[in-house]
Amino acid sequence: MLDKKVKVKDVRGLGSDNYLMTVSTPEQARLVRPGQFIMLKCVEDIDDNPLLRRPFTIFNIYRQARSGKPAGLELLIKDVGYGTHKLVQTRPGQTLNCLGPQGRGFQVSAEMRNRTEMGVLIAGGVGIAPLYLLAQSLMAHNVKPVLFYGSSTVEGLVLREYFERLNVEIHYATEDGSFGERGFITQPAAQFLKAHGQKNIRIYTCGPWAMMKAVHLLAVQYNLPCEVSLEARMGCSLGACLGCVVRSRDHHGEEQYLRVCQDGPVINSRLIDWDTVPL
Amino acid sequence: MTNPATEKVPFKTPHLAVEIAGVRFKNPVLTASGTFGYGLEFADLMDLNSIGGIVVKGLSMAPIKGNPPPRIYETSSGMLNAIGWQNIGATEFITKKLPLLRNYDTNIIVNIVGFELNEYLEVARFLNDCPGIKALELNISCPNVHKGGFHYNKDPKDTFTITAETRKASPRLPLWVKLSPNVTDIREFAKACEDAGADALSVVNTFIGMAIDIEKRQPRLRFRTGGLSGPAIKPIALRMVWEVCQAVKLPVIGIGGIAGTEDALEFLIAGARAVQVGTANFYRPDTSQRIALGLQEYCRSRHIDDINEIIGSLRNYE
Repeated sequence: MLDKKVKVKDVRGLGSDNYLMTVSTPEQARLVRPGQFIMLKCVEDIDDNPLLRRPFTIFNIYRQARSGKPAGLELLIKDVGYGTHKLVQTRPGQTLNCLGPQGRGFQVSAEMRNRTEMGVLIAGGVGIAPLYLLAQSLMAHNVKPVLFYGSSTVEGLVLREYFERLNVEIHYATEDGSFGERGFITQPAAQFLKAHGQKNIRIYTCGPWAMMKAVHLLAVQYNLPCEVSLEARMGCSLGACLGCVVRSRDHHGEEQYLRVCQDGPVINSRLIDWDTVPL
Repeated sequence: MTNPATEKVPFKTPHLAVEIAGVRFKNPVLTASGTFGYGLEFADLMDLNSIGGIVVKGLSMAPIKGNPPPRIYETSSGMLNAIGWQNIGATEFITKKLPLLRNYDTNIIVNIVGFELNEYLEVARFLNDCPGIKALELNISCPNVHKGGFHYNKDPKDTFTITAETRKASPRLPLWVKLSPNVTDIREFAKACEDAGADALSVVNTFIGMAIDIEKRQPRLRFRTGGLSGPAIKPIALRMVWEVCQAVKLPVIGIGGIAGTEDALEFLIAGARAVQVGTANFYRPDTSQRIALGLQEYCRSRHIDDINEIIGSLRNYE
Protein backbone atom coordinates (compact mmCIF):
# COMPACT_ATOMS: atom_id res chain seq x y z
CA MET A 1 0.00 0.00 0.00
CA LEU A 2 1.37 3.36 -1.05
CA ASP A 3 0.07 6.91 -0.83
CA LYS A 4 1.15 8.70 -4.00
CA LYS A 5 0.50 11.84 -5.97
CA VAL A 6 -0.49 10.51 -9.36
CA LYS A 7 -0.79 12.36 -12.64
CA VAL A 8 -4.00 12.18 -14.66
CA LYS A 9 -3.09 10.95 -18.11
CA ASP A 10 -6.49 10.72 -19.73
CA VAL A 11 -10.20 10.94 -18.95
CA ARG A 12 -12.22 9.36 -21.74
CA GLY A 13 -16.01 9.54 -21.87
CA LEU A 14 -17.66 6.18 -22.54
CA GLY A 15 -21.24 7.43 -22.64
CA SER A 16 -24.00 7.05 -20.03
CA ASP A 17 -21.97 9.08 -17.50
CA ASN A 18 -19.17 6.51 -17.57
CA TYR A 19 -15.52 7.44 -17.93
CA LEU A 20 -12.25 5.60 -18.23
CA MET A 21 -9.59 7.47 -16.31
CA THR A 22 -5.92 6.69 -16.72
CA VAL A 23 -3.45 7.77 -14.06
CA SER A 24 0.33 7.40 -14.17
CA THR A 25 1.69 5.56 -11.15
CA PRO A 26 4.18 2.79 -11.97
CA GLU A 27 4.97 1.85 -8.37
CA GLN A 28 1.33 1.27 -7.47
CA ALA A 29 0.59 -0.42 -10.80
CA ARG A 30 3.25 -3.04 -10.06
CA LEU A 31 1.50 -4.10 -6.84
CA VAL A 32 -2.02 -4.62 -8.15
CA ARG A 33 -3.83 -7.93 -7.86
CA PRO A 34 -7.23 -8.54 -9.56
CA GLY A 35 -10.13 -7.19 -7.53
CA GLN A 36 -8.16 -4.59 -5.59
CA PHE A 37 -9.00 -0.89 -5.48
CA ILE A 38 -7.43 2.49 -4.86
CA MET A 39 -8.68 5.47 -2.85
CA LEU A 40 -8.58 8.56 -5.02
CA LYS A 41 -8.98 12.15 -3.92
CA CYS A 42 -11.43 13.71 -6.38
CA VAL A 43 -9.81 17.16 -6.47
CA GLU A 44 -6.19 18.37 -6.63
CA ASP A 45 -6.06 20.14 -3.25
CA ILE A 46 -6.33 17.54 -0.52
CA ASP A 47 -8.02 20.00 1.85
CA ASP A 48 -10.82 20.78 -0.62
CA ASN A 49 -14.26 19.22 -0.73
CA PRO A 50 -15.11 16.45 -1.12
CA LEU A 51 -12.91 15.61 1.83
CA LEU A 52 -13.01 11.86 1.72
CA ARG A 53 -11.31 9.96 -1.06
CA ARG A 54 -13.45 7.66 -3.16
CA PRO A 55 -12.76 3.95 -3.73
CA PHE A 56 -12.35 2.79 -7.33
CA THR A 57 -11.71 -0.72 -8.53
CA ILE A 58 -8.68 -1.08 -10.74
CA PHE A 59 -10.03 -2.00 -14.16
CA ASN A 60 -6.71 -2.48 -15.88
CA ILE A 61 -3.01 -1.87 -15.56
CA TYR A 62 -1.80 0.60 -18.12
CA ARG A 63 1.56 -0.46 -19.55
CA GLN A 64 4.40 1.31 -21.27
CA ALA A 65 4.08 0.88 -25.01
CA ARG A 66 7.65 -0.16 -25.60
CA SER A 67 8.71 -2.14 -22.54
CA GLY A 68 5.31 -3.45 -21.48
CA LYS A 69 6.14 -2.50 -17.88
CA PRO A 70 3.29 -1.35 -15.59
CA ALA A 71 3.01 2.44 -15.84
CA GLY A 72 -0.36 3.28 -14.37
CA LEU A 73 -3.93 2.37 -13.68
CA GLU A 74 -7.14 2.45 -15.70
CA LEU A 75 -10.22 3.17 -13.63
CA LEU A 76 -13.86 2.92 -14.63
CA ILE A 77 -15.69 5.85 -13.09
CA LYS A 78 -19.42 6.45 -13.16
CA ASP A 79 -20.43 10.04 -12.50
CA VAL A 80 -23.00 9.48 -9.77
CA GLY A 81 -22.48 12.33 -7.31
CA TYR A 82 -20.48 15.27 -6.11
CA GLY A 83 -17.15 13.46 -5.77
CA THR A 84 -17.19 11.51 -9.01
CA HIS A 85 -18.46 14.58 -10.86
CA LYS A 86 -15.43 16.57 -9.70
CA LEU A 87 -13.16 13.67 -10.56
CA VAL A 88 -14.27 13.24 -14.17
CA GLN A 89 -13.76 16.97 -14.70
CA THR A 90 -10.03 16.72 -13.94
CA ARG A 91 -7.74 17.34 -16.89
CA PRO A 92 -4.63 15.50 -18.07
CA GLY A 93 -1.60 16.76 -16.20
CA GLN A 94 -3.43 17.41 -12.94
CA THR A 95 -2.27 15.47 -9.89
CA LEU A 96 -4.43 13.59 -7.41
CA ASN A 97 -3.69 11.76 -4.16
CA CYS A 98 -4.01 8.02 -4.64
CA LEU A 99 -3.81 5.41 -1.88
CA GLY A 100 -3.45 1.74 -2.62
CA PRO A 101 -3.70 -0.84 -3.95
CA GLN A 102 -6.09 -1.77 -1.17
CA GLY A 103 -8.13 -4.74 -0.07
CA ARG A 104 -8.42 -8.45 -0.72
CA GLY A 105 -8.95 -9.27 -4.35
CA PHE A 106 -10.20 -12.43 -6.04
CA GLN A 107 -8.83 -15.78 -4.99
CA VAL A 108 -6.87 -16.92 -8.01
CA SER A 109 -4.16 -19.41 -7.19
CA ALA A 110 -1.86 -21.83 -8.93
CA GLU A 111 -3.87 -24.66 -7.37
CA MET A 112 -6.77 -23.79 -9.63
CA ARG A 113 -4.80 -24.86 -12.68
CA ASN A 114 -6.20 -28.16 -13.96
CA ARG A 115 -8.74 -28.26 -11.10
CA THR A 116 -11.09 -25.42 -11.98
CA GLU A 117 -12.45 -25.83 -15.47
CA MET A 118 -14.20 -22.53 -15.82
CA GLY A 119 -14.62 -19.14 -14.21
CA VAL A 120 -18.11 -17.75 -14.69
CA LEU A 121 -17.94 -13.95 -14.47
CA ILE A 122 -21.25 -12.14 -14.01
CA ALA A 123 -21.30 -8.35 -14.25
CA GLY A 124 -24.03 -5.74 -14.02
CA GLY A 125 -23.20 -2.30 -15.45
CA VAL A 126 -20.05 -0.79 -13.97
CA GLY A 127 -19.71 -4.03 -12.01
CA ILE A 128 -17.60 -5.00 -15.01
CA ALA A 129 -14.72 -3.04 -13.43
CA PRO A 130 -12.96 -5.77 -11.40
CA LEU A 131 -13.50 -8.54 -13.94
CA TYR A 132 -11.06 -7.60 -16.68
CA LEU A 133 -7.91 -8.19 -14.63
CA LEU A 134 -9.58 -11.29 -13.22
CA ALA A 135 -10.32 -12.69 -16.69
CA GLN A 136 -6.67 -12.23 -17.67
CA SER A 137 -5.50 -13.82 -14.46
CA LEU A 138 -7.77 -16.82 -14.94
CA MET A 139 -6.48 -17.29 -18.47
CA ALA A 140 -2.92 -17.14 -17.18
CA HIS A 141 -3.85 -19.99 -14.83
CA ASN A 142 -5.35 -22.01 -17.65
CA VAL A 143 -8.92 -21.46 -16.44
CA LYS A 144 -11.49 -20.53 -19.09
CA PRO A 145 -13.41 -17.34 -18.31
CA VAL A 146 -17.01 -17.06 -19.49
CA LEU A 147 -18.44 -13.56 -19.14
CA PHE A 148 -22.08 -12.68 -18.57
CA TYR A 149 -22.48 -8.93 -18.94
CA GLY A 150 -25.78 -7.16 -18.43
CA SER A 151 -27.05 -3.63 -18.25
CA SER A 152 -30.32 -1.76 -18.63
CA THR A 153 -29.39 -0.61 -22.16
CA VAL A 154 -26.60 -1.20 -24.65
CA GLU A 155 -24.97 2.11 -23.67
CA GLY A 156 -24.29 0.69 -20.24
CA LEU A 157 -22.28 -2.24 -21.61
CA VAL A 158 -19.07 -0.25 -21.38
CA LEU A 159 -15.59 -1.53 -22.15
CA ARG A 160 -16.92 -4.77 -23.59
CA GLU A 161 -14.40 -4.45 -26.44
CA TYR A 162 -11.63 -5.22 -23.92
CA PHE A 163 -13.17 -8.63 -23.25
CA GLU A 164 -13.92 -9.21 -26.92
CA ARG A 165 -10.23 -8.65 -27.63
CA LEU A 166 -9.37 -11.33 -25.07
CA ASN A 167 -11.42 -13.72 -27.18
CA VAL A 168 -13.41 -15.02 -24.25
CA GLU A 169 -16.94 -16.43 -24.46
CA ILE A 170 -19.36 -13.57 -23.73
CA HIS A 171 -23.12 -13.51 -23.16
CA TYR A 172 -24.89 -10.17 -23.10
CA ALA A 173 -28.28 -9.11 -21.81
CA THR A 174 -30.02 -5.75 -21.66
CA GLU A 175 -33.26 -4.99 -19.91
CA ASP A 176 -34.61 -3.13 -22.95
CA GLY A 177 -33.37 -5.78 -25.38
CA SER A 178 -31.13 -3.29 -27.21
CA PHE A 179 -28.22 -5.75 -27.13
CA GLY A 180 -27.99 -9.45 -26.39
CA GLU A 181 -30.79 -11.20 -24.61
CA ARG A 182 -33.71 -9.15 -23.30
CA GLY A 183 -33.95 -9.15 -19.51
CA PHE A 184 -31.62 -9.63 -16.58
CA ILE A 185 -28.19 -11.14 -17.13
CA THR A 186 -28.92 -13.69 -14.43
CA GLN A 187 -31.32 -15.45 -16.82
CA PRO A 188 -28.71 -16.58 -19.41
CA ALA A 189 -26.27 -17.19 -16.55
CA ALA A 190 -28.78 -19.53 -14.90
CA GLN A 191 -29.32 -21.42 -18.15
CA PHE A 192 -25.59 -21.77 -18.59
CA LEU A 193 -25.11 -23.10 -15.07
CA LYS A 194 -27.98 -25.51 -15.56
CA ALA A 195 -26.18 -26.91 -18.60
CA HIS A 196 -22.69 -26.88 -17.08
CA GLY A 197 -23.42 -27.01 -13.36
CA GLN A 198 -21.77 -30.39 -12.95
CA LYS A 199 -18.42 -29.00 -13.96
CA ASN A 200 -15.82 -27.59 -11.66
CA ILE A 201 -16.83 -23.94 -11.92
CA ARG A 202 -16.08 -20.87 -9.80
CA ILE A 203 -18.41 -17.88 -9.96
CA TYR A 204 -17.26 -14.27 -9.67
CA THR A 205 -19.71 -11.39 -9.66
CA CYS A 206 -19.96 -7.65 -9.30
CA GLY A 207 -22.92 -5.35 -9.86
CA PRO A 208 -26.09 -4.14 -8.20
CA TRP A 209 -26.92 -5.75 -4.85
CA ALA A 210 -30.06 -7.49 -6.18
CA MET A 211 -28.11 -9.00 -9.07
CA MET A 212 -25.31 -10.23 -6.81
CA LYS A 213 -27.87 -11.73 -4.46
CA ALA A 214 -29.49 -13.59 -7.39
CA VAL A 215 -26.06 -14.85 -8.47
CA HIS A 216 -25.33 -15.97 -4.91
CA LEU A 217 -28.57 -17.97 -4.90
CA LEU A 218 -27.58 -19.61 -8.19
CA ALA A 219 -24.22 -20.53 -6.66
CA VAL A 220 -26.00 -22.11 -3.70
CA GLN A 221 -28.42 -23.94 -6.02
CA TYR A 222 -25.58 -25.46 -8.05
CA ASN A 223 -23.25 -25.82 -5.07
CA LEU A 224 -20.55 -23.71 -6.63
CA PRO A 225 -18.07 -21.36 -4.92
CA CYS A 226 -18.92 -17.70 -5.48
CA GLU A 227 -16.97 -14.54 -4.80
CA VAL A 228 -18.60 -11.13 -4.87
CA SER A 229 -16.90 -7.77 -5.22
CA LEU A 230 -18.70 -5.29 -2.98
CA GLU A 231 -19.13 -1.55 -3.05
CA ALA A 232 -19.52 0.65 0.03
CA ARG A 233 -19.24 4.24 1.14
CA MET A 234 -15.75 4.29 2.54
CA GLY A 235 -14.00 6.67 4.91
CA CYS A 236 -10.39 5.59 5.08
CA SER A 237 -9.89 2.17 3.35
CA LEU A 238 -7.48 1.30 6.18
CA GLY A 239 -9.90 -0.56 8.42
CA ALA A 240 -9.90 2.31 10.90
CA CYS A 241 -13.20 4.15 10.46
CA LEU A 242 -15.40 1.01 10.29
CA GLY A 243 -17.76 2.90 8.00
CA CYS A 244 -17.85 0.49 5.06
CA VAL A 245 -19.19 -2.65 6.70
CA VAL A 246 -21.46 -5.35 5.34
CA ARG A 247 -23.49 -7.65 7.58
CA SER A 248 -22.16 -11.17 7.75
CA ARG A 249 -22.21 -14.39 9.78
CA ASP A 250 -19.18 -15.93 11.42
CA HIS A 251 -18.48 -19.68 11.59
CA HIS A 252 -20.89 -20.11 14.48
CA GLY A 253 -23.67 -18.27 12.66
CA GLU A 254 -23.16 -15.22 14.84
CA GLU A 255 -23.85 -11.87 13.24
CA GLN A 256 -20.79 -9.75 12.59
CA TYR A 257 -19.79 -6.86 10.34
CA LEU A 258 -17.03 -7.25 7.78
CA ARG A 259 -15.10 -4.23 6.55
CA VAL A 260 -15.44 -4.02 2.78
CA CYS A 261 -12.07 -2.21 2.63
CA GLN A 262 -9.94 -4.79 4.43
CA ASP A 263 -11.97 -8.00 4.72
CA GLY A 264 -13.08 -7.34 1.11
CA PRO A 265 -13.90 -5.89 -1.30
CA VAL A 266 -14.05 -9.45 -2.64
CA ILE A 267 -15.88 -11.72 -0.19
CA ASN A 268 -17.17 -15.28 -0.28
CA SER A 269 -20.87 -14.83 -1.08
CA ARG A 270 -21.87 -17.35 1.61
CA LEU A 271 -20.52 -15.08 4.36
CA ILE A 272 -22.86 -12.23 3.47
CA ASP A 273 -26.27 -11.54 4.94
CA TRP A 274 -28.07 -10.82 1.68
CA ASP A 275 -31.20 -9.55 3.42
CA THR A 276 -29.44 -6.44 4.74
CA VAL A 277 -28.72 -4.01 1.92
CA PRO A 278 -25.69 -1.98 3.03
CA LEU A 279 -26.06 1.08 0.80
CA MET B 1 31.40 43.73 16.86
CA THR B 2 28.83 41.53 15.25
CA ASN B 3 25.96 42.96 13.35
CA PRO B 4 22.71 41.69 14.95
CA ALA B 5 20.97 41.93 11.60
CA THR B 6 23.29 39.50 9.90
CA GLU B 7 24.22 37.34 12.86
CA LYS B 8 22.99 33.81 12.45
CA VAL B 9 20.51 32.66 15.03
CA PRO B 10 22.00 29.51 16.54
CA PHE B 11 20.11 26.40 15.51
CA LYS B 12 17.78 25.45 18.30
CA THR B 13 15.09 22.80 18.27
CA PRO B 14 11.98 24.19 19.93
CA HIS B 15 10.72 22.35 22.94
CA LEU B 16 7.40 20.78 21.95
CA ALA B 17 6.78 18.52 24.92
CA VAL B 18 3.71 19.05 27.08
CA GLU B 19 2.54 17.43 30.29
CA ILE B 20 -0.97 16.24 30.94
CA ALA B 21 -1.81 14.86 34.38
CA GLY B 22 1.78 13.84 35.08
CA VAL B 23 2.31 12.21 31.69
CA ARG B 24 4.83 13.69 29.29
CA PHE B 25 3.93 13.91 25.60
CA LYS B 26 6.80 14.57 23.18
CA ASN B 27 4.55 16.97 21.32
CA PRO B 28 0.92 18.06 21.71
CA VAL B 29 -0.40 16.19 18.66
CA LEU B 30 -2.49 13.08 19.22
CA THR B 31 -4.94 11.16 17.08
CA ALA B 32 -8.59 11.02 18.08
CA SER B 33 -10.42 7.87 19.09
CA GLY B 34 -12.36 6.20 16.30
CA THR B 35 -10.37 7.88 13.54
CA PHE B 36 -7.09 6.02 13.86
CA GLY B 37 -8.14 2.43 14.53
CA TYR B 38 -5.68 0.80 16.89
CA GLY B 39 -2.86 2.89 15.39
CA LEU B 40 -1.19 0.02 13.58
CA GLU B 41 -3.41 0.53 10.53
CA PHE B 42 -1.44 3.73 9.83
CA ALA B 43 2.07 2.39 10.44
CA ASP B 44 2.84 2.08 6.71
CA LEU B 45 1.68 5.60 5.95
CA MET B 46 3.37 7.70 8.62
CA ASP B 47 5.89 7.51 11.45
CA LEU B 48 3.91 6.66 14.57
CA ASN B 49 6.91 7.76 16.64
CA SER B 50 6.48 11.32 15.40
CA ILE B 51 3.36 12.14 17.41
CA GLY B 52 2.66 12.68 21.08
CA GLY B 53 0.05 9.99 21.41
CA ILE B 54 -2.60 7.74 19.97
CA VAL B 55 -6.10 7.49 21.45
CA VAL B 56 -7.28 4.10 20.28
CA LYS B 57 -10.79 3.18 19.17
CA GLY B 58 -13.27 3.01 22.05
CA LEU B 59 -12.94 -0.31 23.88
CA SER B 60 -15.50 -2.26 25.81
CA MET B 61 -14.77 -5.38 27.87
CA ALA B 62 -16.52 -7.70 25.39
CA PRO B 63 -16.39 -7.05 21.62
CA ILE B 64 -19.22 -4.93 20.17
CA LYS B 65 -20.60 -5.55 16.68
CA GLY B 66 -21.70 -2.00 15.98
CA ASN B 67 -24.61 -0.51 14.05
CA PRO B 68 -26.02 -1.83 10.77
CA PRO B 69 -24.88 0.07 7.66
CA PRO B 70 -25.00 2.62 6.16
CA ARG B 71 -22.81 4.08 8.89
CA ILE B 72 -21.12 7.07 7.26
CA TYR B 73 -22.10 9.89 4.94
CA GLU B 74 -20.03 12.82 3.74
CA THR B 75 -21.42 16.33 4.09
CA SER B 76 -19.97 19.76 3.25
CA SER B 77 -16.52 19.93 4.86
CA GLY B 78 -17.40 17.11 7.18
CA MET B 79 -18.87 13.68 7.63
CA LEU B 80 -21.56 11.98 9.65
CA ASN B 81 -20.90 8.67 11.33
CA ALA B 82 -22.92 6.25 13.39
CA ILE B 83 -20.53 3.33 13.83
CA GLY B 84 -21.95 2.26 17.16
CA TRP B 85 -18.78 1.28 19.02
CA GLN B 86 -17.72 -1.69 16.92
CA ASN B 87 -14.53 -2.90 18.62
CA ILE B 88 -12.53 -6.04 19.29
CA GLY B 89 -12.89 -5.89 23.07
CA ALA B 90 -10.31 -5.03 25.73
CA THR B 91 -8.80 -8.51 26.04
CA GLU B 92 -8.00 -8.84 22.36
CA PHE B 93 -6.64 -5.31 22.33
CA ILE B 94 -4.29 -6.11 25.20
CA THR B 95 -3.10 -9.42 23.77
CA LYS B 96 -2.99 -8.66 20.02
CA LYS B 97 -2.63 -4.91 19.47
CA LEU B 98 -0.96 -3.35 22.50
CA PRO B 99 2.23 -5.48 22.36
CA LEU B 100 2.80 -4.24 18.78
CA LEU B 101 1.88 -0.66 19.64
CA ARG B 102 4.39 -0.65 22.47
CA ASN B 103 7.19 -0.94 19.91
CA TYR B 104 6.54 2.69 19.07
CA ASP B 105 7.73 5.65 21.07
CA THR B 106 4.36 7.32 21.55
CA ASN B 107 1.80 7.42 24.35
CA ILE B 108 -1.17 5.06 24.15
CA ILE B 109 -4.44 6.33 25.57
CA VAL B 110 -7.44 4.04 25.65
CA ASN B 111 -10.92 5.39 25.08
CA ILE B 112 -13.44 3.33 27.07
CA VAL B 113 -17.13 2.77 26.36
CA GLY B 114 -20.06 0.96 27.94
CA PHE B 115 -23.82 0.65 27.73
CA GLU B 116 -24.15 0.61 31.54
CA LEU B 117 -22.10 2.11 34.35
CA ASN B 118 -20.87 -1.35 35.36
CA GLU B 119 -19.50 -1.99 31.91
CA TYR B 120 -17.43 1.20 32.05
CA LEU B 121 -16.10 0.25 35.47
CA GLU B 122 -15.27 -3.30 34.42
CA VAL B 123 -13.12 -2.20 31.49
CA ALA B 124 -11.54 0.62 33.56
CA ARG B 125 -10.56 -1.90 36.26
CA PHE B 126 -9.18 -4.30 33.69
CA LEU B 127 -7.07 -1.68 31.92
CA ASN B 128 -5.81 -0.16 35.17
CA ASP B 129 -3.41 -3.09 35.56
CA CYS B 130 -2.18 -3.20 31.97
CA PRO B 131 1.30 -1.80 31.43
CA GLY B 132 1.78 0.34 28.35
CA ILE B 133 -1.34 2.45 28.73
CA LYS B 134 -0.75 6.07 29.73
CA ALA B 135 -4.31 7.24 30.39
CA LEU B 136 -7.97 6.37 29.99
CA GLU B 137 -10.37 8.55 28.05
CA LEU B 138 -13.91 8.11 29.34
CA ASN B 139 -16.31 8.26 26.41
CA ILE B 140 -19.59 9.67 27.69
CA SER B 141 -20.25 11.62 24.55
CA CYS B 142 -20.82 9.16 21.71
CA PRO B 143 -24.18 10.07 20.14
CA ASN B 144 -24.56 6.80 18.21
CA VAL B 145 -25.78 4.34 20.82
CA HIS B 146 -29.17 3.90 22.44
CA LYS B 147 -27.73 3.34 25.92
CA GLY B 148 -24.54 4.56 27.61
CA GLY B 149 -22.30 7.11 25.92
CA PHE B 150 -24.00 10.46 25.46
CA HIS B 151 -26.69 9.43 27.92
CA TYR B 152 -24.19 10.11 30.73
CA ASN B 153 -23.58 13.57 29.32
CA LYS B 154 -27.13 14.91 29.56
CA ASP B 155 -27.19 15.84 33.23
CA PRO B 156 -24.05 17.04 35.08
CA LYS B 157 -25.06 14.86 38.06
CA ASP B 158 -24.76 11.71 35.93
CA THR B 159 -21.48 12.97 34.52
CA PHE B 160 -20.20 13.49 38.06
CA THR B 161 -21.24 9.98 39.13
CA ILE B 162 -19.68 8.09 36.24
CA THR B 163 -16.49 10.14 36.44
CA ALA B 164 -16.12 9.60 40.20
CA GLU B 165 -16.85 5.87 39.90
CA THR B 166 -14.42 5.39 37.01
CA ARG B 167 -11.81 7.36 38.93
CA LYS B 168 -12.14 4.83 41.78
CA ALA B 169 -12.14 1.83 39.43
CA SER B 170 -8.88 2.83 37.80
CA PRO B 171 -6.74 4.57 40.45
CA ARG B 172 -3.41 4.07 38.66
CA LEU B 173 -4.25 5.74 35.34
CA PRO B 174 -4.93 9.40 34.66
CA LEU B 175 -8.57 9.82 33.69
CA TRP B 176 -9.57 12.03 30.80
CA VAL B 177 -13.24 12.64 30.11
CA LYS B 178 -14.36 13.23 26.54
CA LEU B 179 -17.24 15.68 26.53
CA SER B 180 -20.20 16.08 24.24
CA PRO B 181 -20.88 19.39 22.50
CA ASN B 182 -24.59 18.55 22.35
CA VAL B 183 -25.42 20.38 25.58
CA THR B 184 -26.63 23.86 26.50
CA ASP B 185 -23.56 24.81 28.52
CA ILE B 186 -20.51 22.57 28.28
CA ARG B 187 -18.88 24.34 31.23
CA GLU B 188 -21.31 22.74 33.68
CA PHE B 189 -20.19 19.30 32.55
CA ALA B 190 -16.54 20.29 32.65
CA LYS B 191 -16.96 21.43 36.26
CA ALA B 192 -18.77 18.22 37.17
CA CYS B 193 -15.80 16.24 35.85
CA GLU B 194 -13.34 18.42 37.72
CA ASP B 195 -15.31 18.02 40.96
CA ALA B 196 -15.46 14.25 40.44
CA GLY B 197 -11.69 13.90 40.16
CA ALA B 198 -11.03 13.82 36.42
CA ASP B 199 -7.45 14.60 35.40
CA ALA B 200 -8.09 16.11 31.97
CA LEU B 201 -10.88 16.86 29.50
CA SER B 202 -11.11 15.99 25.82
CA VAL B 203 -13.25 18.64 24.14
CA VAL B 204 -15.27 17.79 22.02
CA ASN B 205 -16.90 14.70 20.57
CA THR B 206 -19.08 14.93 17.44
CA PHE B 207 -22.14 17.10 16.92
CA ILE B 208 -25.40 15.26 16.33
CA GLY B 209 -26.46 15.74 12.73
CA MET B 210 -28.53 14.25 9.95
CA ALA B 211 -28.68 13.87 6.18
CA ILE B 212 -31.58 12.62 4.06
CA ASP B 213 -31.71 10.88 0.70
CA ILE B 214 -34.39 12.86 -1.15
CA GLU B 215 -35.11 10.06 -3.63
CA LYS B 216 -35.66 7.35 -1.04
CA ARG B 217 -36.82 9.90 1.58
CA GLN B 218 -34.72 7.96 4.05
CA PRO B 219 -32.01 9.10 6.42
CA ARG B 220 -28.57 8.58 4.87
CA LEU B 221 -27.59 6.67 8.01
CA ARG B 222 -29.50 3.66 9.26
CA PHE B 223 -29.15 5.00 12.81
CA ARG B 224 -30.96 8.07 11.37
CA THR B 225 -28.73 10.58 13.10
CA GLY B 226 -24.96 10.58 13.36
CA GLY B 227 -22.01 12.48 14.74
CA LEU B 228 -20.77 15.34 12.56
CA SER B 229 -16.99 15.76 12.42
CA GLY B 230 -14.43 17.42 10.19
CA PRO B 231 -13.51 21.03 9.35
CA ALA B 232 -17.21 22.00 9.41
CA ILE B 233 -17.28 21.82 13.22
CA LYS B 234 -13.96 23.52 13.95
CA PRO B 235 -15.17 27.02 14.90
CA ILE B 236 -17.77 25.63 17.32
CA ALA B 237 -15.34 23.16 18.85
CA LEU B 238 -12.77 25.92 19.24
CA ARG B 239 -15.27 28.14 21.03
CA MET B 240 -16.16 25.30 23.38
CA VAL B 241 -12.51 24.53 24.14
CA TRP B 242 -11.96 28.20 24.94
CA GLU B 243 -15.04 28.24 27.21
CA VAL B 244 -13.95 25.11 29.08
CA CYS B 245 -10.42 26.47 29.52
CA GLN B 246 -11.91 29.52 31.22
CA ALA B 247 -14.18 27.45 33.45
CA VAL B 248 -11.88 24.77 34.89
CA LYS B 249 -8.24 24.31 35.87
CA LEU B 250 -7.93 20.87 34.29
CA PRO B 251 -5.80 20.45 31.20
CA VAL B 252 -7.93 20.40 28.05
CA ILE B 253 -7.24 18.42 24.90
CA GLY B 254 -8.81 20.20 21.93
CA ILE B 255 -10.63 18.21 19.27
CA GLY B 256 -12.82 19.19 16.35
CA GLY B 257 -12.00 19.58 12.68
CA ILE B 258 -8.25 19.90 13.09
CA ALA B 259 -6.72 19.28 9.69
CA GLY B 260 -3.58 21.41 9.66
CA THR B 261 -0.98 23.23 11.74
CA GLU B 262 -2.94 26.47 11.86
CA ASP B 263 -5.99 24.66 13.23
CA ALA B 264 -3.88 23.04 15.95
CA LEU B 265 -2.32 26.40 16.87
CA GLU B 266 -5.74 28.02 17.24
CA PHE B 267 -6.73 25.39 19.79
CA LEU B 268 -3.44 25.72 21.67
CA ILE B 269 -3.71 29.51 21.79
CA ALA B 270 -7.30 29.13 23.05
CA GLY B 271 -5.88 27.14 25.95
CA ALA B 272 -5.74 23.50 24.88
CA ARG B 273 -2.71 21.66 26.28
CA ALA B 274 -2.79 19.28 23.32
CA VAL B 275 -4.94 18.49 20.31
CA GLN B 276 -6.38 15.39 18.68
CA VAL B 277 -6.60 14.99 14.93
CA GLY B 278 -9.72 13.13 13.80
CA THR B 279 -11.48 13.04 10.45
CA ALA B 280 -8.42 14.39 8.58
CA ASN B 281 -6.69 11.05 9.28
CA PHE B 282 -9.15 9.46 6.86
CA TYR B 283 -8.28 11.52 3.81
CA ARG B 284 -4.67 12.39 4.68
CA PRO B 285 -3.35 9.57 6.86
CA ASP B 286 -0.18 11.41 7.91
CA THR B 287 -1.97 14.62 8.98
CA SER B 288 -0.87 14.27 12.63
CA GLN B 289 2.79 13.87 11.69
CA ARG B 290 2.54 16.89 9.39
CA ILE B 291 1.04 18.96 12.20
CA ALA B 292 3.77 17.93 14.64
CA LEU B 293 6.36 19.07 12.10
CA GLY B 294 4.36 22.21 11.37
CA LEU B 295 4.30 23.18 15.05
CA GLN B 296 8.06 22.83 15.21
CA GLU B 297 8.44 25.02 12.15
CA TYR B 298 6.03 27.62 13.56
CA CYS B 299 7.97 27.85 16.82
CA ARG B 300 11.34 27.96 15.11
CA SER B 301 10.37 30.66 12.63
CA ARG B 302 8.89 32.82 15.37
CA HIS B 303 11.71 32.19 17.85
CA ILE B 304 9.46 30.46 20.34
CA ASP B 305 11.61 28.14 22.46
CA ASP B 306 8.82 26.23 24.10
CA ILE B 307 5.35 25.39 22.80
CA ASN B 308 3.99 25.91 26.31
CA GLU B 309 4.49 29.66 25.72
CA ILE B 310 1.73 29.49 23.15
CA ILE B 311 -0.77 27.52 25.19
CA GLY B 312 -3.51 29.78 26.51
CA SER B 313 -1.78 32.85 25.10
CA LEU B 314 -4.94 34.33 23.58
CA ARG B 315 -4.83 38.12 23.74
CA ASN B 316 -7.77 40.40 24.20
CA TYR B 317 -8.41 43.48 22.11
CA GLU B 318 -7.35 46.69 23.84
